[in-house]
Amino acid sequence: MDAVAPLRILAVEDDPRIRATLRLALEDEGYAVLEADSGESALELHSRQAVDVVLVDLMLPGMTGFEVVRELRRASDVPIVIVTARTDSHDVVAGLEAGADDYVRKPFVVKELAARIRSLIRRSRGAEGGSDAGSSPGGPPVVFGAVELSPAEGVVRRHGKELALTRTEFHLLCELAENAGLVLSREQLLERVWGYDYFGEARLVDAHIRRLRTKIEEDPSEPALIVTVRGLGYKLVR
Amino acid sequence: MTSRTRGLRFRVTAAFALGALLLFGILGSSVYLFSYHYLVEQRERSLVGQAYADARVVRDTLARSDEVKEPLAILDRVPGSNAVVRWRGRWFGTTVASPGATVPDGLRRLVEAGSPAHQRIDRSGVPTFVVGVPIDEVGAEYYEMFSLLELDRTLRTIRNALTAGGALAVVMAGLIGWTLSRRVLRPVADFASAAERVAAGDLETRLAPGADPDLASLAASFNHMVDAVERRIARESRFVADASHELRSPLTTLATAVEVMEARRDELPDRSRRAFDLLRDEVRLLQRLVEDLLELGAAEAGAEAGAAEPVRLDELVANVVARWAGGQPVAVDVDPCFGEPVLADKRRFERILSNLIVNAGTHGRGLERLSLHRRGDRLRLEVVDGGPGVPEDERQAVFERFFRGAAAGRRAGSTGSGLGLALVAEHVRLKGGRVWVEDREDGAGARFVVELPWAGEPDAGAARAGVRT
Repeated sequence: MDAVAPLRILAVEDDPRIRATLRLALEDEGYAVLEADSGESALELHSRQAVDVVLVDLMLPGMTGFEVVRELRRASDVPIVIVTARTDSHDVVAGLEAGADDYVRKPFVVKELAARIRSLIRRSRGAEGGSDAGSSPGGPPVVFGAVELSPAEGVVRRHGKELALTRTEFHLLCELAENAGLVLSREQLLERVWGYDYFGEARLVDAHIRRLRTKIEEDPSEPALIVTVRGLGYKLVR
Repeated sequence: MTSRTRGLRFRVTAAFALGALLLFGILGSSVYLFSYHYLVEQRERSLVGQAYADARVVRDTLARSDEVKEPLAILDRVPGSNAVVRWRGRWFGTTVASPGATVPDGLRRLVEAGSPAHQRIDRSGVPTFVVGVPIDEVGAEYYEMFSLLELDRTLRTIRNALTAGGALAVVMAGLIGWTLSRRVLRPVADFASAAERVAAGDLETRLAPGADPDLASLAASFNHMVDAVERRIARESRFVADASHELRSPLTTLATAVEVMEARRDELPDRSRRAFDLLRDEVRLLQRLVEDLLELGAAEAGAEAGAAEPVRLDELVANVVARWAGGQPVAVDVDPCFGEPVLADKRRFERILSNLIVNAGTHGRGLERLSLHRRGDRLRLEVVDGGPGVPEDERQAVFERFFRGAAAGRRAGSTGSGLGLALVAEHVRLKGGRVWVEDREDGAGARFVVELPWAGEPDAGAARAGVRT
């Protein structure tokens, strides 16, 4: 870990006991933890201070977690992990649609949460062309349809205009582009983009594919670039 | 369901046809009888009139001469009729070979006694009307025979027309009944399919009230029932969701705090460390218990509609075994057909399998054998352990919540939540399958068998398009 300036995690959680233990656990993992007890204060804090990862509990008093995610996404591509205590998957999907990169369920195992955070940070660092070049996608620019993907620059253009993709969306697109014409299963994408084992949830992939489509497809309801191969997974059509 | 609907339709159709038959039978016979009497009476009256007229001619002729042949020659002009005269004890006839024999005795006696009479007879197959008129002035009797063939033909035509009309009416009524019953029974079919949809979990299903007041009240009751069910399910799943949140929040704090302490376990004084170990184990058990309870609650509230998706079951089995079997050697026998994706509820299948494996680990001294095969329209999963087996009288009860068998009356050593098999049973039930436990062949352990309905294969097009990477 970076000894000079520890990575900063903004934890948005209304339950003070969870906040306190989360701080203890994440500090053990070597992160600096900023706390916010509401969505409003989280946004305020984020606008003042740079953070590396945001953890958002979906059930917040006042401004909901979804709104926090949406607001954060408006201005920044900071990695966001949503935290939910509910059993149904509705919240997770809605949170992912709002722009979150990953999610964990309560009660979480801190080791797992830390692994998710590390994976996210690795992705966002790689894109900045920083120290962690090993996991950064590279290679020559790829053109498909009106979309031009330049892994080395870390940018995607459509009709020559730069698109605002989150780091996760960008990595997902790179993974698909690298295997253009081949079908990638959800499990494969989960493993390669998110670093999950077999038991990760396919919803994560589906939600990100949907978001990616709204950005790069001419008509997201009739995708022509990222197509679903029923029963198998997704494929980028070159 | 279908056969019952057909039965009802058949009955309605038959009732219509029978009704038409009865109605037309009564109506037709009345019409026939009425026209029969009317036509016969009219014809007879006119024939009697004609016979009288002819008799008058015969009387006048006989009064003038002795010759009988002459008036009979006049009578010849009456078509289809035959005249016979008995005069001075002798018979005279126009076309009749033996005139006296053709007149029935009863009629003759009446006429001889001086009263006119008439009678219907059958003259060698021809219906005939005989009129006898005494001609007292010249001491003669006049008989005239008329063929009723024409009348009979008319009556037969009427009869045939009525029969044909009746048959047609019965067929028409049957057709109307068939068509009508379909219309009448359509709401019933709609009800059935709506109820089916509700049972399958589509709680948005409602029946249109329609115009018919009888059906409208039935539809309203049905909708009311679905509303109530929907409210109840919503309440239950809200409770599960709330309970989930309320239980998970403190558990999160507990679990996280335990993790923080775990990292410093070695720094704890001996007694604190022993206390911490107890705390940690119990928190983990509590966590599993809450997870299982919430899963059970969610499954019961129908909160999760597990959809069938294409799954490579060979991969799934391998992954679940690797994760839950605790690293001991396991004989896995998966049908090669599961190397291709098949439709399955991946999450539930995973939960069924992992809970059975965990159960084998906690109560059966570990998983030994696992097989997955297709048997016709069923998918058969067998999980075999090397434990003491399950006594006969506990084979139902093991699938109940928090069941602790006589042999397993030892919470102390147990690390399970006591809900694993109940969860298996619930998931299997929701998928329309069966689960049971039996002895393995060699009696050295238990075999849990799950049979699930075969959901099918993904459509062929997608499978062909598949590229393995």
